[in-house]
Amino acid sequence: MTTTATAPAGWRSGLRDTLPLLGGYLPVAISFGVIASRAGFSPLEVGLISALIYAGASQFLFVGMAAAGAPLWLTVVMTLVINLRHLAYAPNLAEWLPRSRSWPWLMHGLTDQVFALAHARLPQLESERRLGWFAAASLLAWLVWIGGSLLGALAGEWLTARWPLLDRVMPFALPALFLVLVAPRFTSLRWSAALTVSTVAGLVLTLTGPADFAIVLAAACGMLCFYLLPAVSGRYS
Amino acid sequence: MSSALWLGVIAAALGTWLLRALPLLWMQRRLRRSPHRTGALPQWLAALGPMMIAAVLGVSLVPSEQSVTGWLATLAGSAITLALWWRLRSLGWPVVAGVAVFGVVVIILS
Repeated sequence: MTTTATAPAGWRSGLRDTLPLLGGYLPVAISFGVIASRAGFSPLEVGLISALIYAGASQFLFVGMAAAGAPLWLTVVMTLVINLRHLAYAPNLAEWLPRSRSWPWLMHGLTDQVFALAHARLPQLESERRLGWFAAASLLAWLVWIGGSLLGALAGEWLTARWPLLDRVMPFALPALFLVLVAPRFTSLRWSAALTVSTVAGLVLTLTGPADFAIVLAAACGMLCFYLLPAVSGRYS
Repeated sequence: MSSALWLGVIAAALGTWLLRALPLLWMQRRLRRSPHRTGALPQWLAALGPMMIAAVLGVSLVPSEQSVTGWLATLAGSAITLALWWRLRSLGWPVVAGVAVFGVVVIILS
């Protein structure tokens, strides 16, 4: 196909598409490095935790509970409970993944952000470019997460003191990215209402309730709205 | 870090990876059995994915600094991001513009 011949390689598209995500990743990773370092973890340990667990919110919880002396089994269980939402991610992508034995291993990189990006981009790519796209996007995000954590552990306090504005401004890249990923899904009254409920619930629950479970609870509110509303436009996807 | 804590890290890492990878294997098996690949994903699961993304959006919209400046900057940044997305229908520039406007509002109001 001519479009395939002229289109950039999958991995190159993956790297380019991931760039907006990194503006949000880096400050959070640096924050994790700072907090884990304060909790008594060495830079090597911080880097390894980020490389192995690779799940933002649950990493914060893990080092917090470990530092507070919580029972190890409870620390692990709570880490996994927070990550239960990831169960829904891979099945939503499976339809777009060409055959390869690499996919189960690549799922290590399936974070909230990479899922949102892949859910929007994979359907737009030719089948033969998808493996390269996902491998490059998830690998870049993973390396930046590890690098940011190390940076935070080694020099986070100095960095945030020297450029406090950067620390305040860069995290907005994440909501901005999610906005452009969610916006195209407002395709009908039913979808618009359910997505709005999910977004507003996420915001309100973070402000008022259990922030660690806000994503799951907010998605449940959105699902409830989705099934309570009749399919007015008759358009599902 | 004690060896017990390392075991905890490995258990959490393995568990997180399984939470991400096992549903893929389950879904791939369903797809292989389904004559129409697009109909294999249960409707509730197809709806859950976008709901999760919207929920993560809501969570991330809360500014780290919850002040009038933080909220106004979030509002302005979001408006510009959406307006530019509406015009360009692309990923990169709306995000860059949103972050820039967010930063300008923070500087002006601080």
